[in-house]
Amino acid sequence: MELQETLEEGYVEILDHLRKRSLWMLHYCTACGAVELPPTITSRFDAERFGIAPFVTSRQSDILLVTGYINIKTLKRLVTVYEQMLPPKYVIGFGSCTINGGIYWDSYAVVKRLDLYLPVDVYIAGCMPTPMAVLEGFRTLMKLIDEGKANGWRKYIENYDYYKANQRKVLKW
Amino acid sequence: MNFSLLMILLTPIFGGLLAYAGSALHKAVRNIFFLIFLILPFFELYQYANKTIDNFYYLTVLGQSLSLGINALSFMLSLLFSLIFLLAYIFLLFEFDKSEDSDLAILEFSFLEGAVFGVLFARDILSFFIFFEIIALIIFFLIGKGYEESHNAQLKYITWALIGANSMLAAVVFLFFKAGSFGYAEISGYLSTAPTPIVLITFVLFVIGFLIEASIMPLHVWAPITYAEAPDSVSVLLSSVVKKVGLYLFTIFVFSIFGLNLFSKIMPRVFEAPLIMYVLQWIGALTIIIGTFVAIVQEDAKKILAWSSIAQSGYILLGLSLGTPLGVAGGLLHIVNHSIFKGILFFVVGGVIYRTGTKNLSELGGLIKKMPISFISMLLAIIATAGIPPLNGFVSKYLIYEALIQNKEPLLLTIALLGGTGSFMYVYRLIHSIFLGQLPKKYEGVKEVPILMQVPMLVLSLLALLFGVLPGIPMYFVSKAEAFLGFDPIKYTLTGFPEQPGLHALNVPIISAALMGGFVVAALIFYLLPKTRSVHQLDNYYAGEILTEDVKYNYSFGFYSFFDDIIKPFNEWSIDRIYENFVGFVKTVGDYIRRIYTGNLETYVSLGIIILTIFSLIYIIGGVLW
Amino acid sequence: MVEKLVLILTPIFAFFVGIFLEGFKRKMVARIHRRYGPPLHQPLLDIIKLLSKKENISHGVMFDLGPVIFVGASILTVLFLPLPHFKQLTPYGDLIAFLYIMVIGSLGMALGAGESGNPNASIGIARALTLMLGYELPLIIAGNTLVVRYGTTDLYKFMTLQSGFNWNLFLLPLTAIAGFIATYGAMGEHPFDTVVAPQEVATGPMVEYGGKHLGLLMIGHAIQVYIETAFFTILFLGGASNIFTFILKQLGVIIVMTLFDTVFPRFRIENAVRYFWRWPTLIALLGLLIVYIGGK
Repeated sequence: MELQETLEEGYVEILDHLRKRSLWMLHYCTACGAVELPPTITSRFDAERFGIAPFVTSRQSDILLVTGYINIKTLKRLVTVYEQMLPPKYVIGFGSCTINGGIYWDSYAVVKRLDLYLPVDVYIAGCMPTPMAVLEGFRTLMKLIDEGKANGWRKYIENYDYYKANQRKVLKW
Repeated sequence: MNFSLLMILLTPIFGGLLAYAGSALHKAVRNIFFLIFLILPFFELYQYANKTIDNFYYLTVLGQSLSLGINALSFMLSLLFSLIFLLAYIFLLFEFDKSEDSDLAILEFSFLEGAVFGVLFARDILSFFIFFEIIALIIFFLIGKGYEESHNAQLKYITWALIGANSMLAAVVFLFFKAGSFGYAEISGYLSTAPTPIVLITFVLFVIGFLIEASIMPLHVWAPITYAEAPDSVSVLLSSVVKKVGLYLFTIFVFSIFGLNLFSKIMPRVFEAPLIMYVLQWIGALTIIIGTFVAIVQEDAKKILAWSSIAQSGYILLGLSLGTPLGVAGGLLHIVNHSIFKGILFFVVGGVIYRTGTKNLSELGGLIKKMPISFISMLLAIIATAGIPPLNGFVSKYLIYEALIQNKEPLLLTIALLGGTGSFMYVYRLIHSIFLGQLPKKYEGVKEVPILMQVPMLVLSLLALLFGVLPGIPMYFVSKAEAFLGFDPIKYTLTGFPEQPGLHALNVPIISAALMGGFVVAALIFYLLPKTRSVHQLDNYYAGEILTEDVKYNYSFGFYSFFDDIIKPFNEWSIDRIYENFVGFVKTVGDYIRRIYTGNLETYVSLGIIILTIFSLIYIIGGVLW
Repeated sequence: MVEKLVLILTPIFAFFVGIFLEGFKRKMVARIHRRYGPPLHQPLLDIIKLLSKKENISHGVMFDLGPVIFVGASILTVLFLPLPHFKQLTPYGDLIAFLYIMVIGSLGMALGAGESGNPNASIGIARALTLMLGYELPLIIAGNTLVVRYGTTDLYKFMTLQSGFNWNLFLLPLTAIAGFIATYGAMGEHPFDTVVAPQEVATGPMVEYGGKHLGLLMIGHAIQVYIETAFFTILFLGGASNIFTFILKQLGVIIVMTLFDTVFPRFRIENAVRYFWRWPTLIALLGLLIVYIGGK
């Protein structure tokens, strides 16, 4: 029994080790943060050398990159997209807007804290975060995956009621 | 027991009459009566396997005895047609279950089968002509029981059938007066010594009649609307039986009565074929390419099938008119295979119409979950139509392609292969718009067609698979038919073809086995991995938008609209339009002529005087001059 | 015995060659962009990642079977391509049969994508089939030219007849160019990538595929890359006398393709088909004419 568990753990570890080298991101470009992505993936900074590439649909992607402020209308779409993604899946909050609302801290239409609604694995602070900071964020996520700590998607399933209740409060579903 | 050919011919007709009488008692009595009489021909035909009968005299007309006969070719086709009649009849019972016409339809159906046997067994030009016209007449009646536009279709069909009939009648009468006999053998003997113009004129007149029934290109105008508007079971018969009767007669006349030797004697040879056969090859090729391209942009399920049927008869004509053992084998095999897979397609589409009440592709979609058996049948049929191994359409098209290679005709081969790719487009559109995509809300209660209605599709699907994987089975009959037509039959084995001149070896079971092997490997990878979770059809990628039932989220209208743009310049040259212009011209001329007939006596008298004067003048002047 | 063993191992070989070619291509594209680029085995990592997804979604049985048929048919197609010194299954089917066998995979994928019920997928398939009608015309004419010239349809014979430096690329340059453009179109590279076109139809047929479905599709795609390049190598680059030359020639095909792929934008589908029916077809017809008049 123990042997099997060890084997399974080892298997998961190896998989995680390989998995971190291939992360496809869905850059959900809600706001100005999107402008920092082209330099990140083109010749100067080249995110592809870590196996990170932009992808198109929610079914294919691993990372949900939320680039900027989320207003209430967008949140609805964001949750749909997140739920369509296949686990293991990770959320990166990009820029200060996703942390505390940023310059929209007093807006009536903007959702201030992303992690009330979706389980965020990594935050990249800054307004705007530079491509270097973005890459650092990706590296952090890769390290977390390798260590088996990027468990946002598990958290979402375990605390489903909590997240749903928070979403309902703003969306009035 | 001994059954004469006349008995086989009359069996379905008796059955129809009995069933018509039985319908006074109960519907079930009628149905079972007729079913028995549709199964009987199989037993009756059994004793004629491997037999050639040439002169079974049954009637004397104008001092000539008319005869019936059977040979390998007509035996093969009568077996096939009996099966299709049986299946179409089962289908017809459901299609007409609410109609009051059903008794009459069954009666007409029985006469149709009798007449088809008549054409197949006929051994003289008068009986074949009479039976052929009976077919046309009954089809005319049967079409009228179809959809809204069917009366237009009836008019168009009968016009063209009459053109064909008159053209053939002219040839029949002409040959009778020249040869003094109706029999195929005597006619053939006369033609071998006849002057060239007579041979050519009679040949063209006959071929026009046959090719109208086979809906070959410039003579196809009636086909799309007729196939689309006829009742579904009649569409099956039109495509799988009546069309093949035309092609059967073409085969018999070209190879057995006129004969390739005769043509080679009187005209130059082009690409190893007499000139007229070469022209026919090109007609076949044009039929393939135009029929395919037009089928691609249709919006109506049955119209796609109609145009596809036109295109496939182009393949048959192309194969037959090559006049080589390979080509003729391919053409004959394609007659059998096309009857089978086009039958499935019409049955499935008919079943879908039976359940949903529409044949408009943009209104359908997502029926795979509701009608899985129809889906599987159609899947097999479209694979066969596109000519993909291991279904039956592949083998016959393969033979035709190889025959074209053997004759060194790269242009015709290019057209034929391109037609194959094009057929892939329209069959995919058909299956996609009916079975794939999103299920409209109004069809959520749709059920699979009744079990008896599944029988026709399943039987033919199994045949398509069997004839595809083991092409030796149909080749057994085809090679005999070929021997009857005077060719060296090509070599074949149960599994395909051995290496022989002009034909690369082919082994379909090995292809299927390799396919299954690859399939098993892939399935192992797939099913050993974590299970899948089914999601609702509206849980779909739409850039984050949330879909609702009331918004149509399906791509089915104008499926190949961009392809339409590409071929738009050629739409100007429509053959339909040429005929319409001709009709307009005739109407205008008629209009002018009608103005002479004013209804006034004086006009008529003066007209008479004018004409009399003209004739007398001609007479007088002629007398002076000569 | 050896032949059977080779036959069974061929799909695995083809898969790894395909992965190598794909990885090489990505690296090369990166270098043309003046990037460092992903590691050579990146496609393999992607496939492992996709196959190890914890949960997969399905829209129905055909949706599941689509990728399975795609991979299965790709394996079948590989078996009908000859290798140096190995006839594989070529004695049982020739060029014509091969053209039709190649289509089975696309059919499976088309059916699977169709069942996803996403209009993007349907549009992608409609485009793919229309594009196929486009590139098949020059491909068929080029194939016909070879058939007319060599008087055979056997793929293995094509390979042996060009041994030495009698490559069709040198003997029939026009036909080879037309064949190359057609193969290039079949690979769906720029400017003929209207089928996947991420910005227009969200990767077309693959739009609803993720997880193990997409993983299988990528396995199939790797094999398809092998098939297309090997097909071109056999028909025009003289096959090869050993397996390394064979792979080297495939690599050459990929390098030339990538050079075009990196610099082109995208055609609209109508224009792509019009293009195929105009220039490559004319070139191919010219090649055919030359062979036809010149005789053997």
